[in-house]
Amino acid sequence: MVQFNFKGITVVPSGKEMVDIILSRTQRQTPTVVHKGYAINRLRQFYMRKVRFTQQNFHEKLSAIVDEFPRLEGIHPFYSDLLHVLYNKDHYKLALGQVNTARNLISKVAKDYVRLLKYGDSLYRCKCLKVAALGRMCTVIKRIGPSLAYLEQVRQHMARLPSIDPNMRTILICGYPNVGKSSFMNKITRADVDVQPYAFTTKSLFVGHTDYNYLRYQVIDTPGILDRPFEDRNIIEMCSITALAHLRSAVLFFLDISGSCGYTVAQQAALFHSIKSLFLNKPLMIVCNKIDLQQLNALSEDDKRLVDEMKAEALKTLPIGGDPNAEQQVLVTMSTLTDEGVINVRNTACERILDQRVEIKMKSKKINDCLNRFHVAMPKPRDGKERPVCIPQQVSEQRAKDREVEKEKEKRKLEKDLENENGGAGVYSASLKKHYLLANDEWKEDIIPEIIDGHNVADFMDPDILERLEELEREEGFRLAGEEGDDFEIDGDNMTPEEREALNEIRKRKKALIQEHRIKKSTAESRPIVPRKFDKDRQFTTERMGRQLSGLGLDPSKAIERVRSRSVSRGRKRERSVAADGAGDDGMEIDNDGKGSNKRLRLRSVSRSRSRSRAPVEEVIPGEGFKDKEQKVKAIKLGKKSVKKRNKDARKGEADRVILNMMPKHLFSGKRGIGKTSRR
Amino acid sequence: MRLEKCWFCSSTIYPGHGIQFVRNDAKIFRFCRSKCHKNFKMKRNPRKVKWTKAYRRLHGKDMTQDSTFEFERKRNRPQRYDRINTEKVLQAIPKISKVKATREKDHITKRLSVGRVNRRTEDRRELEQSISLVKAPSVLKEDATLTLPKQKVTVSYAQTENTPMEE
Repeated sequence: MVQFNFKGITVVPSGKEMVDIILSRTQRQTPTVVHKGYAINRLRQFYMRKVRFTQQNFHEKLSAIVDEFPRLEGIHPFYSDLLHVLYNKDHYKLALGQVNTARNLISKVAKDYVRLLKYGDSLYRCKCLKVAALGRMCTVIKRIGPSLAYLEQVRQHMARLPSIDPNMRTILICGYPNVGKSSFMNKITRADVDVQPYAFTTKSLFVGHTDYNYLRYQVIDTPGILDRPFEDRNIIEMCSITALAHLRSAVLFFLDISGSCGYTVAQQAALFHSIKSLFLNKPLMIVCNKIDLQQLNALSEDDKRLVDEMKAEALKTLPIGGDPNAEQQVLVTMSTLTDEGVINVRNTACERILDQRVEIKMKSKKINDCLNRFHVAMPKPRDGKERPVCIPQQVSEQRAKDREVEKEKEKRKLEKDLENENGGAGVYSASLKKHYLLANDEWKEDIIPEIIDGHNVADFMDPDILERLEELEREEGFRLAGEEGDDFEIDGDNMTPEEREALNEIRKRKKALIQEHRIKKSTAESRPIVPRKFDKDRQFTTERMGRQLSGLGLDPSKAIERVRSRSVSRGRKRERSVAADGAGDDGMEIDNDGKGSNKRLRLRSVSRSRSRSRAPVEEVIPGEGFKDKEQKVKAIKLGKKSVKKRNKDARKGEADRVILNMMPKHLFSGKRGIGKTSRR
Repeated sequence: MRLEKCWFCSSTIYPGHGIQFVRNDAKIFRFCRSKCHKNFKMKRNPRKVKWTKAYRRLHGKDMTQDSTFEFERKRNRPQRYDRINTEKVLQAIPKISKVKATREKDHITKRLSVGRVNRRTEDRRELEQSISLVKAPSVLKEDATLTLPKQKVTVSYAQTENTPMEE
């Protein structure tokens, strides 16, 4: 319930702004893409959504305004009157009414157009309907533009109204302009009200708070009131009148007895009497201000009489059966300039308020419920013996000691002082090890090693480490002794140097074989695969066999003889006679490699073939048909190239299409590692 | 100041080296160099990476359980400084490390000795099987020693022309 705080009302946008906001929101938050090719229902939905969305938003915003502004019937009459005074109740109500109607109109518009949209038959028509709907809604808002502007102004002003709690203990200060109300206010509260020599400096109500007896009191400063008929009063005066009328508070009527405000005591008294009807049932106090300028007893007779009259009125407001110093409670003097009597005034006012409130509470029915729960017990003294306060001796001793300790603390030297002595913050570095608690104080300044040889010293810390180390070393000794025996066993089975040599030889041979094979394999592509019996390189000679056999330790002579005899019988008749002479005797043999024997054959044979006098292959012979040497070389190369391939396949010539093995096993049997075997 | 162990390879991380990675569950991973860090980022399991200590321990290449490991244990309770104890500890540490090192070496030697024995038997077998590559069996029957036969080189004198000699 916004009882007295109107700061929470949301900002009222102007008509144009509202339209802008809501239209842009519609554009952003509803789907934007539509084509004329969509289904008609979809198009209708699209535009209906937009219309409804806009209507909802307007509804929301206008509802917010209507709800948040206070209804004048629903708030404290002080505030409703104040609002009426300030903003004119009728205008206010009208504006809110207009907003409400606008809301309803917009809803109607939206409803109508949504109904029409249901029958839109093309994109264009739907769009036009939507445009019309939104347009009408916006016109409605445009029309209430001035009301919105007015409401915004009202809101801004309302937010700045002082938050006066009507049910709190309140002191109201009233009187003619310039009598010193605001200065008094400044004195007793923390409010900083303008104090100026011209009249109507204070143009509205100001609230301050003051404390008395652990209770908080509101102090309300009002603008000055002039003595005028009620109807002629302006808004500012009406504010104070309203406050006077509705707030249940103590009233301090300020009187300037010196007349320096510009008005005589008579005028002020007249004002008093004209508004005394407003002082009914309120504790009233007449406060005579500016006594530094004019003393109360130094007043003239007439003035004194007037003051007495006012006092009499004020006395009426006192509770019946009041104090003897009633006079003091009703008529007080003070001077805000010299601070004389200011506090006294405040105290008296607060007391009066309290008394009144307590009285009212006592009279009300509620008090009876709690009254029987209170009982203040006052023990009656049993006898006349004096019993003063008793403090046990220990306690007093302890207290004395504490006091001493405190004194010491003040004398004790701080680390800070030490630092300052030794050169200040940058120069002196405090020894943090000073307060270490160690078994032996000599160890305080020790540098503790943390790392040694890649190990953390802290990980090894153990009080009985030396014993454990001894055990470990003993164990190690035993273990090493045991291991000595094992070692000897293993070393027993070594190979003799001869065996080692033999093994090396074996490995060498094996390696040589492997290497040979590798060479053979790597050259296999360009070499014709010729069976051994043709022996193109002429490496399978008897000499070789002889060497290998003798390498193994066997006597190769017999084997060589055997081989030679067989080969000679084929075609080397002439050789045999020569070989037969010298063969068996000395064991020395004709040692030639293959090329050499061929040469001898050639030398010995009578018939000399033409090949001896052959010209070199590259030379161009005129009849052959070659242009020059390069061409012939190229032609020979080409010829050899194709022959090479055929040689590798062991084909005699181009026409040789013999397939030795029509069905090689590897192509016609077996499963595949991967893939199908549906074709062979 | 503490020397930590690399999470991946278990080598010590000296001050000024390596990277520490703190995971969202507040577990700290320390690495001695970028090699280990990159391996970790690749999510490799150190127990499967051959050169790490974790692998070696797991597969029995290095010593796993020993009383020397009990000496070096991280204690989470700070201890009051005691000069006498600290001196003892400082004396003891090198001795303990020496013992530990010898034990580790012996462990490895023991592990490898099996291979030595195997190699010896294999050599012997190879010798027995393949001796025929260097010495004919018949010759071996006559002469059981392992003296290798010399290769005989025959020289021919019958021709006047010079033929290249081969060995």
